[in-house]
Amino acid sequence: MPAATTLANCARSLLAALAGAWDRIWFQDRPTVPLEVARIGIGAALLENYGMATPHLFEFWGEAGWMPRAVAAQYADDPWIQSILFYVTAPWQLLAFHIVFLLSAFALMLGWRTRWVKWIVLVGHLSYLHRNPVLQYGVDLILASLLLILCVAPTGRALSLDRVRAVRAAKRDNLNAAPAPYTSVWAGACIRLMQIQMATLFFFSAVSKIRGDDWWNGDAMWVVFRTYDFYNRFLLSLFASHYWLVNVATYGTLLVEIAFPFLIWQRATRPYLLAAAILLHVQIGIFMGMPYFSFVMIMGHMSFLRPEWLARAAAAWQRKIGDLEMLYDGDCGFCKRSMAWFMAFDGLRQIRARDFRRDPSPVVASELVEKALYLVLPDGRALPGFEAYRYVVPRVPGLWWMIPFFYVPVLSRLFGHPIYNWVAANRGRLSALTRPRSRSPRRQQA
Amino acid sequence: MQLKTWRKRAIYAAMSAFVAWHSLATLTAPVPPEATGLQPLRDLLRPYLWLLSLDNNWDFFAPNVRRGYQFRYVVEAADGAAHTFVPTQDVSWYSPNFWWIRQWQDAIVDDPDLNADRAVALLCRKHAALHPTAITLVEVDQKEFSPRDWLAGKRPFDPDFLAPQMMTRVECQPQQP
Repeated sequence: MPAATTLANCARSLLAALAGAWDRIWFQDRPTVPLEVARIGIGAALLENYGMATPHLFEFWGEAGWMPRAVAAQYADDPWIQSILFYVTAPWQLLAFHIVFLLSAFALMLGWRTRWVKWIVLVGHLSYLHRNPVLQYGVDLILASLLLILCVAPTGRALSLDRVRAVRAAKRDNLNAAPAPYTSVWAGACIRLMQIQMATLFFFSAVSKIRGDDWWNGDAMWVVFRTYDFYNRFLLSLFASHYWLVNVATYGTLLVEIAFPFLIWQRATRPYLLAAAILLHVQIGIFMGMPYFSFVMIMGHMSFLRPEWLARAAAAWQRKIGDLEMLYDGDCGFCKRSMAWFMAFDGLRQIRARDFRRDPSPVVASELVEKALYLVLPDGRALPGFEAYRYVVPRVPGLWWMIPFFYVPVLSRLFGHPIYNWVAANRGRLSALTRPRSRSPRRQQA
Repeated sequence: MQLKTWRKRAIYAAMSAFVAWHSLATLTAPVPPEATGLQPLRDLLRPYLWLLSLDNNWDFFAPNVRRGYQFRYVVEAADGAAHTFVPTQDVSWYSPNFWWIRQWQDAIVDDPDLNADRAVALLCRKHAALHPTAITLVEVDQKEFSPRDWLAGKRPFDPDFLAPQMMTRVECQPQQP
């Protein structure tokens, strides 16, 4: 029966095509970097926001504050609206909850124990929202949506302390070891979920606006900036004498919101739409006094960063800085462990380590490296000790967090040199003191 | 994607089910309730949406921008003096505190029956140093204000463009020693 066979083949081809399309949409092998950028930003935003709420903790969420539990129950009239804070009665319990939440948000930002800390942050955030629903506004709900995606995603595999710990473990045996960057199809699926979230948000935001006269008539921006909440004397003065700017700003907002969900997917148009959306939110943050909302939205947009853009930016940075070679004493356990820690932050693998005892440098004499670690720059110059670290820190993005320690005017050098020289002179003693304990026989057997 | 084992197939199916379910929830949540055809789907998704605070319509500044208002309260002190306060006035625009206070005011203005008495009780406690006897809550609505008004030297907060409305007056309870 050739007709039946042909039909079956067609059906099989169709199914295969559908499955292929489904895979292409959802399950592409991707690094987690866009999600990690969002994780860092969202962790920081939550930490700042709820940190600022600390002086008002009992006022906002306490029993004697704005929303006693009995009243909260009237708002949360559905069994699915749950909060740990419904069951918190004593003030110390609320305080303990708040401290754990803030520490978890901090850990989320750093990417420390991300695997379970992210869930604490999600549950904590939802608990605050449901305990006092009148406090929540748009940004809190956007955060809940993004946090859920971060929770199910394999976050913490890049740009995180978890990654640093994993790389350090690999470098303990070989300082030049470089574990491959994490990629997975599930990371690709979660990036896609975040993209859909942001596109949906823009789409419905646009659709709800075009139903209103303020937006149709092009007057919305005038109305916004003349209200108590968003009053802006400078803009009103400008708009009053050049009213066409109000129309441009109003229709421009609509245009970006309508175009975004449709054109953000195409390779050619994505950079423009992404830039427009980010610019829109920067303006909202500055002119409407909503930096928290704007920042969170921009973090959500980070899901649209293409891996190749990030790779290109990383390659350009590496080309600009050039190769850095650190000469260290391979017989000094403390030096090796310190180097493993330091180099674990070098996500772009800009630093190469050379053990001068086994592989002497042609640039720096071994007698000099006996006294201090040396950094050999691409132009052949060599910097010793503290100056070597000071040079590296601003040039390796993973080490930027150390800049405040190395670049305080006068003080960094005043204290940095003697501290480094003392450590270098006593490295033998420090090696003995900080030597990892030998494993128990049972663990060694295992 | 090469699926060689049943375990891989199961993981693939679970991943596909989750992304389909979550995308459906994301796309369905903001649909206006007037779309009655989607109601059965919304009912199915409701526990997921409500538990995780995903049930949002994303209608920022829409369909129209809310005409502004200012929330004030007047504390009547024991010595007969009246002190007017504007809670958002001393808070930086860029501080999250501004928006929390703003949200709380919205709740009072939108549902005074539920929130006004409790708000007054808290404000009486806050201003205990003034020995308050009563507090009056006031909503000052903004009227239309055009560019022509601005060019004529008028400003949106001039009395001509404001309509104060007394919401309620509540007596303060004597403070516990």
